[in-house]
Parts: sequence; C-alpha cells; structure tokens
Amino acid sequence: MARRALWRSGAAKDAVPRIAHLDRDRPLVEAAQRDPARFEALYRRYLARVYSYAYYELGDHHAAEDATEATFVSALTSLHRFEERARPSDGEGASTFRVWLFQIARNEVAGERRRARRRPVEPIGETDVVDSVDVESAAVRRDEARAAWQALGRLPGERRQAMVLRFVDELSTAEIAGVLGRSEGAVRVLIHRALKSVAKDMGVSKRSGDGHGSAS
Amino acid sequence: MSLIRRDGGEIEALITDRYLDSLLAIQPSPSLLLGGGPLGSDPSLSAAVRAVSRRLATDLPRFHPSFRFEERLALRLAEVAASMRIPVAAGAEGSIVPCREGHPAAPDPLRAADDDDDRDTRPLLIGGAVAASALSLAGAWLAWRRRTSPMARAIRAAHSMRQTGGGA
Repeated sequence: MARRALWRSGAAKDAVPRIAHLDRDRPLVEAAQRDPARFEALYRRYLARVYSYAYYELGDHHAAEDATEATFVSALTSLHRFEERARPSDGEGASTFRVWLFQIARNEVAGERRRARRRPVEPIGETDVVDSVDVESAAVRRDEARAAWQALGRLPGERRQAMVLRFVDELSTAEIAGVLGRSEGAVRVLIHRALKSVAKDMGVSKRSGDGHGSAS
Repeated sequence: MSLIRRDGGEIEALITDRYLDSLLAIQPSPSLLLGGGPLGSDPSLSAAVRAVSRRLATDLPRFHPSFRFEERLALRLAEVAASMRIPVAAGAEGSIVPCREGHPAAPDPLRAADDDDDRDTRPLLIGGAVAASALSLAGAWLAWRRRTSPMARAIRAAHSMRQTGGGA
C-alpha cells in the first residue's frame, strides 16, 4: 500500500514532476552525497537484499559476492549522479534510490553471469539456515526453501528476476517495473504467469488451501 | 476475442498483485496465514496462485553474505569514500581519515532511524562458515589493534612530547 508507482524510464521520465521529500531513503542518500563516508548506512540497509538478488540469479556465493561488491562500489562512486524522482502517488515507502540500486545490481549480475559462463557453478546446498526463532524446523524449512528456489530457477529470465525482486527483496510492482524497464502492467502479468508456472511446477493443486502441495 | 482474453488476464494479474501487496505486508511473517486466513477469502483469485504465493512468501529466504565479506566490503567502501573526499578537502592534503560510521560511542541518528526497517523475521542463510568468519573477524580485530607502525608510533611520541613541552 505504501509503495506505488515510481518514475518511468525513457521519454516519460522528463514529464514526471520531481518531489524530493518522498523517498524513504532521502536522508541517507543526501547525507552520503554530502559525505561519501556516510554511504555505509545505505550499504548496511541494502546489503542482504542486493546479495540475495545476486545469489538467486547466479546460484554461487562467490559470484554473488563479486556482483554485490561491484554494485555497491559503483553506486558509491556514481551517487552524485543519482536523482530522486518519487511522486506523491508513490507513497511514503517509495524509494527511487532502491530502484536505482537494483538497476545497477541487475547490470552487474548480467556481467557476472557472462563471466560465470566460463567457469563451473556450485549449486545451492552448502548453506545453513539461521533462524533463532525456530531452530528445530530449520531442516524442514531448508528443504522447502530449496524446492521453492529450484522452482524459481526454472523460470525464464525476466519472470525469475521479477519473482525474486517481489518475494525476496519485497519490491513493489512499480519498483520492479523501474528496475526491469517495463510497464507496471507488464510486470503484473509477468508475475502472475510466473506464479501459475511455479504452482504447476511445485505441484500446488488448484484446490490447495494450505499452500503445501507436493513439491517436485 | 483475444482482446477480451487479454483484458481478463490483466485483470487477473491486477487482482493477484493486490493480493501480493497484502500478503507481503503481513508482519512478522506470512507463514501465519499458511493454514488459511482473511486473505484467502477472495473468490476471484485462483486457489493455486494463492497457495503458491503464500508458500513463496514463506519459504524463500533472504540470503546474507558472510560477515567476513560484509566487513571487508565495508572497509573497501570506506577507502573509496575516503579517496572521494580528497578533492573536496582542498588544502587538507594528506589528512585522510578512515571513515567508519556507526561507532557505539557516536550513534548516527539517520542510521538509527533506518535500523527498524531492516529487521525482519525472514530466515537468513549465511554464506560461508559462520565459525570461520568469527575467527577471521577476531583475527582482523587483533591485527587492527596491533597494526601501529613504527612511523605512527614515532609521530605519536613526537606529538605528545610537543604537547607536554618535553621537547623544549
């Protein structure tokens, strides 16, 4: 509810009025633009999200770390060029910085993917679930997470990216549209089709009410 | 006919999108709704889409890199930031200060304001061995404590002598 449309890419971008007080990251971005050392607050805020996006896309910790590092270094050195374009309809939770950051991450992941084609990739599996609240069910959760992760991995490129950004990074449809350079409507359809695809893949029945159909 | 079908698909996608907005807004975790709940009562939304949405919202973890990587990258960013500050600080040649924020003794209000947003109950998968990272961090801390070079010690000694008038 708090996250609505952000800026559009291309020609329409120039027509969007700039209202600079809406971006949830504005104080941090301004502080970092004045003093680059204060970028650390943004780094800490978005590290796990950017890393998650990279890891879901690349499936390899080292490659994800490389992409994450390149993303943040690039963001820091280019921060003076970042312009906030949130609008009143974007709501209080909107962050154009977040969209900008994930655009950089997407580029870096694409570059890393190109480089990764030349070297073998380790599958997910040697990781530990850390959940202080529910340690006993960690193993079950890991299996379920792996099934969901594998189902996502079988989706084609943009559908998979949209799903990771929606479910893992919890970006709004509008923000994802900004990252992918698509319209909001196109992203909605992309995600809807991806969900149907994953449901079929994971064996989630149309009558399923508990969300735990037989996973493949 | 195809237009009607397309519109139908877009409407369905819009309904799904609104459902996801509600689902992902649930705190602490959408898993509370796995057994059905108020969000499950929308009859226009496919049960399979609803079920898989809940499952993905619950089962897909957010990954966190190893702490060693996190601190190493933080250090690198601090170095990059320091190098970016050199042209700004004209006349302050050679006075590069390591830029480490968030020291407990000097809390940053901006940092404190954003911390709440980052705390979620999503399970984290830590890349790498946690124990190894902890050992590495301890080692790095020790190295940092002992890093004082002979030149730095000499400068500090000269400075303290000048302050106490010992050199006169």
